[in-house]
Formats: sequence, C-alpha cells, structure tokens
Amino acid sequence: MQDVLDALKKAIEEGQAKDAAKAVRNALDGGAEPGAILRDVMVPAMDEVGRRYECGDYFLPEMLISARAMKEALAILRPQLVATDVRPAGTVVAGTVKGDLHDIGKNLVCMMLEGAGFEVRDLGVDVAPDAFVDAVRGGGVNVIALSALLTTTLPNMKVTIERLKAAGLRESVGVMVGGAPINGALATEIGADGYAEDAAGAVALARRLVGAPAESPRGAT
Amino acid sequence: MNGRERVRKTLRHEEPDRPPIDLGSTPVTGIAASTYFRIRRALGLGEQPVTIGEPFQILAEVEEPVRRALGVDTIGIWNPTNMFGFRNEGWKPWALPDGTPALVPRDFETDVDADGNTLIYPKGDRRARPSARLPKDGYYFDAIVRQGPLDEDHLDPQDWAEQFEPYSDEDLRYLEDAVTRLYRDTDYALVGNFWQGGLGDVAHVPAPGLTHPKGLRDPNLWYEYLLTHADYIRGIFEIQADVALRNLELYRQVMGDRIEVLVMSGTDFGGQQRPLCSPKLFDELWKPLYRKLNDWVHAHTPWKVFFHSCGAVAPLLDRFVEAGVDILNPVQCSAAGMDAATLKAKHGDRLVFWGGGVDTQKTLPFGTVDEVRAEVRERVRILGKGGGFVFNTVHNIQARTPTENVLALYEEVRAAAFPLAPAARVP
Repeated sequence: MQDVLDALKKAIEEGQAKDAAKAVRNALDGGAEPGAILRDVMVPAMDEVGRRYECGDYFLPEMLISARAMKEALAILRPQLVATDVRPAGTVVAGTVKGDLHDIGKNLVCMMLEGAGFEVRDLGVDVAPDAFVDAVRGGGVNVIALSALLTTTLPNMKVTIERLKAAGLRESVGVMVGGAPINGALATEIGADGYAEDAAGAVALARRLVGAPAESPRGAT
Repeated sequence: MNGRERVRKTLRHEEPDRPPIDLGSTPVTGIAASTYFRIRRALGLGEQPVTIGEPFQILAEVEEPVRRALGVDTIGIWNPTNMFGFRNEGWKPWALPDGTPALVPRDFETDVDADGNTLIYPKGDRRARPSARLPKDGYYFDAIVRQGPLDEDHLDPQDWAEQFEPYSDEDLRYLEDAVTRLYRDTDYALVGNFWQGGLGDVAHVPAPGLTHPKGLRDPNLWYEYLLTHADYIRGIFEIQADVALRNLELYRQVMGDRIEVLVMSGTDFGGQQRPLCSPKLFDELWKPLYRKLNDWVHAHTPWKVFFHSCGAVAPLLDRFVEAGVDILNPVQCSAAGMDAATLKAKHGDRLVFWGGGVDTQKTLPFGTVDEVRAEVRERVRILGKGGGFVFNTVHNIQARTPTENVLALYEEVRAAAFPLAPAARVP
C-alpha cells in the first residue's frame, strides 16, 4: 500500500494526471481510507507543489499540471469522501469581479484550494457584487475570494465588500483578494481580510481565515 | 532635435536633449479611447469622435495635434488588419459603454446580448461565433474561448497554420504607402508593428481574428500543454517562425532603413511576482527561434528589435539579450525584481528601456498629480541616464485615468533636459 500512496504523491507533485488517477484507484481498491488518502497524501502533495513554486523550482505551467492531476484524482476520490462523511477544510466562493473576464489566476487559486481540501464554488468571471452576496446569504460559506486583473475593475472589489456589509453579511465570511493590480496595502484599504500574491499564498491565507493551521497536518503516508 | 534624431540617439545609448516620448506607436504604448477623448478636450483640440486604431483594447489612434501638444517623438506603421481579422478602413460611428463617441472600422460588427455585453464577430462575419466580449460598462474586449474537442493523441500543429499568413501584395502596398508618407512628411521615428515573432502570445491563442479556429485555443490549457505536449507547441512555433522569416524579408524590402524599430514579439513572460515559465523552458521552446529571427534582422537591417513582455522578467533578461533583443517594453517596474535602478545597473548597457516611465496600475490612475510628477522625474533620472530610454507609461494609459495626471506626466518629461542638472543625477 505504501508504494501506491507514494506513487500517488509523486504523480501529483510531478503533474502526471493519468498516473494520479490510476494511483488513487489503486489506493481505494487496496482498502485505503478515503479521508486518509486526501489528508495524508494528496493535500501534502499539493503543499509540496506550493513549496516548490514559492522557492522558484516551479512556475505557472508546473503548478497547473499538478493542479490538474490533483483535480482528476479528487474527482475519483470525492464520491468516497462524501460516502464516508469527510468534511471539507472550509467552503470558498470564488470569482473574478464585475467587468473583468480574466480567469487563469482565479482558476489556479480554485484548483489549489480544492487541492488543500476546501470545497470551492467558482462563480466564474464578470461576477456582479450581488452574486457574491447571494452566495454568502445561501449559507455555509467561510471565505469569499475575489480576483481582478484590470486596473479599471479593481474598484469593483471594494463595491463587493461594501455590498456584503450592507447586507449584514460581512462579519460572517473572510474576504481574500488577489490579482495583478492589488497589493497588501490596497487589500486593507478596501476592507479585505487578506491578500495573497499567488495561488500558494492563497491556500495559506484561506487556511488562516478558517482558523486552520498554515500547513496541512502531516500524517504518516 | 526632432523626434527621429532623438530616438536614434537614445537607441545608440547616448543622451539626446530630452527623453524621447512614445504615445500610440504600438498597441502596447497607447492610450484608452475614453481617456484620450478627455485629454484631447483638455488640450482644447475638440470633442470629435475618437478613431479606434486598435479595437481589441479600444485604443485611440493618436492624432497629429495631440502628438505635437504632448511632445511625442514616434509614430507607428500599423498593419492593415487588426486583432479581429478585418481591415482598419471605412470608418463608422460607435459609442463606448461610457458614452465616448468613437469611429470604428466598417467591419466592426457587434451585437449586445441580454446582459448588456457587446459581442464582436471575427472578420466582421456574422455567420461565425462571436470571438470577443466587452462587458456592459467595460473598457476592453476579451477573447471568447472557442475551444473545440481536442484529440490529445492526434494533435496537428498545422491546425494553426491559417493564423500565420504570408503578406499579400495588397498588404505590402499598404505598408509601402504608410512608410513612404510618414518618412517623407514627418520627422518622427517610425516604429514597425511587425509582431509576427510573438511565439505563443497568449493573447492570440484564442484567435479572435479567425472565424473557426482549430487546435488548442484555451489559454488555461495552453500553459499546461507547454509541458505536457511540448512537441505540439514547438511545431506551432516553427510554423510561425518560418512564415515570420519570409515576411521579414518582404518587410525589409518595403521598409528599408526608414523604420528605426521593429516590434518583434508581444509574448508575455512575466506575472507580478515571477516569470510565467522557467528559464529552462524558455531556453528550450523560445530562445532558439527568437535568436534565429532576431539574428536575421541584425544581419539584414539597421533596425533595433523591440520585445514586449509584461511582468517580472528580470530572471530572463540575460536570455533576452542573448536571443538578440535590443529594446524591452513595457518595463513593469512594480513587478518583483524590476525596480528601475536595478534594471538600469544590470542591463542598461545592452537593453533600451521603452517604458517604465510611470506605473499604470497604481500611480497614474489612483495617485495625485504630485505623486505622478515625482515618479516620472525619478524614472527619467534613473532610466534616462546615458541614453537607452524612450519614455512611455508602463503599458497603455488605462481608462478612468485622471486627465490632470496624464497632462502632468507629459509636462514633466518635456521639462527634463539632458544632461540632467548635477543635483538630479544618479548619485
């Protein structure tokens, strides 16, 4: 079994989607517990991908193929997680703000968050402030993640946060922001709870906002 | 000293009388139409509709009175066909979502959907699916990804061949007319908007100018395929480079030594924090072909090669130089590792910085007039020293940028006289 789990970890770290899918099937067939596969193998694998990105070994393409491998393995694992009642690390509603159609960064953040065990509801691009408000009003949301690439759409982040306040929902969720024209100072200025400069940072930030440890707990694999 | 002399001198890494100024010679050194409309009105030059020279980003065609008023030293030779695959001719009225009156080409065919988004048709062909969308209240089009089913085991780079076409006789006549007129009738430095060396430029991956794009067209997948299907990507790059080399010879026959600068590539290699790909991948996929194209230019023409790449590209700059790049744009000083002093010290003897003049993500749109003036003075002082600097904002001047900030920045550059006073010099 250890060989199978090691193969799964390596396939995710190296972005081999087909191998990852195969390994997760083998692990389930071998009787591994779904929650343990996610917690002890897959989430640590994505943490390692994030670490390699942070230290400059990995770049956008490497991150994307690892996230793809994670996604495909998760698609196989998810029904088993649901069946065994494994809870997500938290629920994040993500989207690119009104007027902005750019999504490569946002998609990567969503994939990395899923890889870290979060449930992600991706509202897509050009998302109206009220759509975020409605999603939060629906309940069960811990964090909203706002993305923007354009200088001209940056103000819509602030508008979204103000709408949440007006709806009386601001205190019920953490708000994280990211994207090219944003920095930590601006994030504070517009009333966000945090800013991350990249997808790996977004995972750490989301964990902080839901009160989880900065790194996943590492079990024996 | 006129614009042509000023640019020539700075390209030789010598100080002209003041930093040469570019505005609007390329689609990455321009100004959003709505901001242009306000600038022109503030200069007392009228409220007539703005001609949209670049419809994808909705950039203004900068006019002669505005060039004169702001002290611009350059002018571009534009291609006859735009990003949407139709010719820039036969102008008709259109209004931006914010109401700015404009003129767009005859084949600028759009619909407004139920949500108020404007959809545009490639080549003006309404039988095709729209290829780009301008959000209701937005300021730019963005490509609509029209990705057909992909058979990963039977990918054919030839699917991309229709995107890279040899110049037609009509194209060459258009370019010949433009360069002849502008070289003879103006004293601006002429910039050739060639662009065909932009290997894997992600703005062109969705092919907003093609009616039925084939092959890989989704930018998200594109970045994955750089690693997972490198042979396919390399095949596309080789087809593009072959056509670009043939077109370079035709371009040389038309332009001769009348242009100073050839815009070769617009492929973005940088994000805010780091390059978008590893130096190793750059060496494998891009560098050999860039080298081939740029070497050809240097062997056959006096042109300087202009490369546009946004973002944090400092770790790639030595490689750019080795690949034959002469000019870097837009010099995004706000990105990691890209501060002006470091760039000038490390690369200023080999690269001309065409941009970096003032930040367009923060200072210019959101700063005060004084902050704009201070940043412009600082950048001119650092980047302008010893020549090798053409003043331009970091990428296009965006929509919603305050008029007074834009006017102030040009006043500052025009007031800068080389050699700078000792007190203002770099210590």
